[in-house]
Amino acid sequence: MISQIRFAGIGGQGVILAGLILGEAAAIEGLNVIQTQDYGSQSRGGHSIADVIIGDEPIYNLIVTKADILVALAQLGYKATKHELKKDGLLIVDTDLVKPDREFIGAPFTKLAEEKVGLALTVNMVALGYLVAKTGIVKKESVEEAIRRRVPKGTEEINLKAFNVGYEEGAK
Amino acid sequence: MKYPFPVGTNDFIQGDEAIARAAILAGCRFYAGYPITPASEIFEAMSLYMPLVDGVSIQMEDEIASIAAIIGASWTGVKAMTATSGPGFSLMMENLGYAIMTETPIVIVDVQRSGPSTGQPTLAAQGDVMQAIWGTHGDHSLIVLSPATVQEAFDMTIKAFNLAEKYRTPVVLLTDAEVGHMREKVNIPNPDEIELLYRKLPQSDEEAKFPFGDIHGDLIPPMPIFGKGYRTYVTGLTHDERGKPKTVESEIHEKLIKRIVAKIENNKKDIIEYETYDLDDAEIVIISYGIVARSAERAVKILRKEGIKAGLLKLNVLWPFDFELIEEIAEQAKKIYVAEMNLGQVYHMVKEGANGKTEVELISKIGGEIHTPYDIIGEIKRGL
Amino acid sequence: MYLKSSYEIRDKYLRKDMLPTIFCPGCGIGSVLQFTLRAIDELGWSQDEVVWVSGIGCSSRVPGYVDFDGLHTTHGRALAFATGIKMANPDLKVIVFAGDGDIAAIGGNHFIHAVRRNLDVTVILINNFTYGMTGGQVAPTTLKGLRGTTAPYGSFENPFDIAQLAVASGANYVARWTVFNYVQGIKSVKKALQKKGFTLVEFLSPCPISFGRRNRMKTAPELIKWYQQITIPISKAKNMPPEELEGKIVIGEFVDRDRPSLEEEYERLKKRAKQMMGFEEGEE
Repeated sequence: MISQIRFAGIGGQGVILAGLILGEAAAIEGLNVIQTQDYGSQSRGGHSIADVIIGDEPIYNLIVTKADILVALAQLGYKATKHELKKDGLLIVDTDLVKPDREFIGAPFTKLAEEKVGLALTVNMVALGYLVAKTGIVKKESVEEAIRRRVPKGTEEINLKAFNVGYEEGAK
Repeated sequence: MKYPFPVGTNDFIQGDEAIARAAILAGCRFYAGYPITPASEIFEAMSLYMPLVDGVSIQMEDEIASIAAIIGASWTGVKAMTATSGPGFSLMMENLGYAIMTETPIVIVDVQRSGPSTGQPTLAAQGDVMQAIWGTHGDHSLIVLSPATVQEAFDMTIKAFNLAEKYRTPVVLLTDAEVGHMREKVNIPNPDEIELLYRKLPQSDEEAKFPFGDIHGDLIPPMPIFGKGYRTYVTGLTHDERGKPKTVESEIHEKLIKRIVAKIENNKKDIIEYETYDLDDAEIVIISYGIVARSAERAVKILRKEGIKAGLLKLNVLWPFDFELIEEIAEQAKKIYVAEMNLGQVYHMVKEGANGKTEVELISKIGGEIHTPYDIIGEIKRGL
Repeated sequence: MYLKSSYEIRDKYLRKDMLPTIFCPGCGIGSVLQFTLRAIDELGWSQDEVVWVSGIGCSSRVPGYVDFDGLHTTHGRALAFATGIKMANPDLKVIVFAGDGDIAAIGGNHFIHAVRRNLDVTVILINNFTYGMTGGQVAPTTLKGLRGTTAPYGSFENPFDIAQLAVASGANYVARWTVFNYVQGIKSVKKALQKKGFTLVEFLSPCPISFGRRNRMKTAPELIKWYQQITIPISKAKNMPPEELEGKIVIGEFVDRDRPSLEEEYERLKKRAKQMMGFEEGEE
């Protein structure tokens, strides 16, 4: 089976890092995976999209054609890409920042990052934790290993904490 | 030797990063560049790695200077590379010609984006094929490679250095924004498992007197690099075997240029590399390269399931071009489709190769999106 | 000052099979080449440790005539090529022999950046106020009012002062002379060659055929006489008001300092990087 997962937000939310860590976790599990990204020219404030395609068979569609899962962290990102989510696809949103016009699940990820982790910047890891808990697309331990490998040195603990805050929220 | 990244293992990295790591493992120790999307990640990786392996990475004032600097470095005997995208590649055309004329081994990476001009900086395209082959003025030849995956970007970077050294020629690694920015699993071998080639150096003072002469009968002169006492004179003017400018003698010009072209053309079999899928009994043949070849492979699989005898020829080397192979394929195929992200470039070469033996049609896509397998299938079915 | 005979210099340093040169009667390039070769000779440098690099133009043909490693490159780009040579092998000494069109027009950007980086090269600049090889078009150095084939009514643009441009961009040593200043010229080149970092010695050099003829100075002596009229030694210029210096060209040494060169800075960077990343110096 092949799953197309898209993270959408605005520049600066760490959307691409979330995609990268999910991809690395899949690679750790020996799955086939491709991770790509699309961003506007602005370094901050433009829309930012990270795609992860995970499969246990060879991947030929190199871009997300119809996403199985869309994780939207900002209205701008949601609007830019909502039409590329499958009709029966899963929409996960930051419920404070995105007002979807279709069925969705989610939590106030940014608020959770601020209040439970103490750093709004970790919103990407909170959302990733929520996604993994809800879908089981990769194992929790693989993501934790990927976080240790990929986040800047010295920030491993806070990112792991954020991931777990999101995971617990999703497991509720 | 200690490497600044893990070796002998798999890694999950971008195409650009894979190119930088492969260059380091190929022995590249001089990089000059200028920031440009989507090639900057190569430069950033080189800036991080080069000082750690006693190499040089330097930001020049533009792409003209970048390619000039790597040519200068190469004449000191160092393997050298630069990377850019369309707008910068255009600026490099002048000194690409100089590198061809002076038979300087260098590697140029063009991470293609949509053009002309600034175009779509972050989106992939394959619009620079003709420019890579024919962009610089005058009669010439060089080598152009095209990777389809991050693993191929890694492997072909090493191949690019080997071919540059072996044939004393510039080699263009023609990739694109998609491969450059995409992350995939890549096997990074142990350095001692990588076969590396090095340019032929003169074995005697007598040999060194002919930096541009076919003294071994293989069309490739040994390269008397600077600082070894050879006192080599190198010029972009037409020159004789010793390097002396000869700007009005037509027979000397003809001899020089024909040798530079022949050293690539006569070694086609060694240089050219391609892959085939279900080609043997194919009635419908798709010819593709780079990122699009992956969608084309999928299209072949789907078409075969539906009972359509489709096959794929995936070109890994775009120049020199195997026109004879295309003619062979054209003799057995009912129809050839060329799928590429431009308005028809390799298409024209395929048409020439097919030599009227069968119909050749273009499946074109521009604007930054890659062909999906169904884009290709749709075109093919329409023609059935 | 003891001077070896010119024949001795010629026999030692020129490639006989490349002669004769393409230079016209009265051309100043030969004199400047001689100053440079004499400076190298006096320093006792080996011909195997120096690379001559050039772009396009009459003066750029010089690396072909001298018995050293030489790279005759594309128009204006010599300094970019030289950057690669010097950075890839800092043991090599690099001389860039160039003309004013090459350095100040098409290569202007490469020039200011090579100076800014303080690349350890010596530029020997032939400034003849014209494009000699292509037949006498005006250059970015042509003084206002002077004529060329592309300015039949006289140049209407402001000229560049290349030496001052180099000073402002951060060169370690900059001097300007005319080919008539034989002794100062050799001394300056010698000083420039010995110094680390970017060094420039500019020579006002006669081009009677392409430039002089169009400006009522048909012979080299006429051009040299003209240089005497328009040049002012820096010691004298210091005490002159700007109005009096209008239309004059100051000659002499403009700067002599020892800022770290690009290669020295890069060596430092390598050490810093290795320390930061836990790579031990000298480790296999």
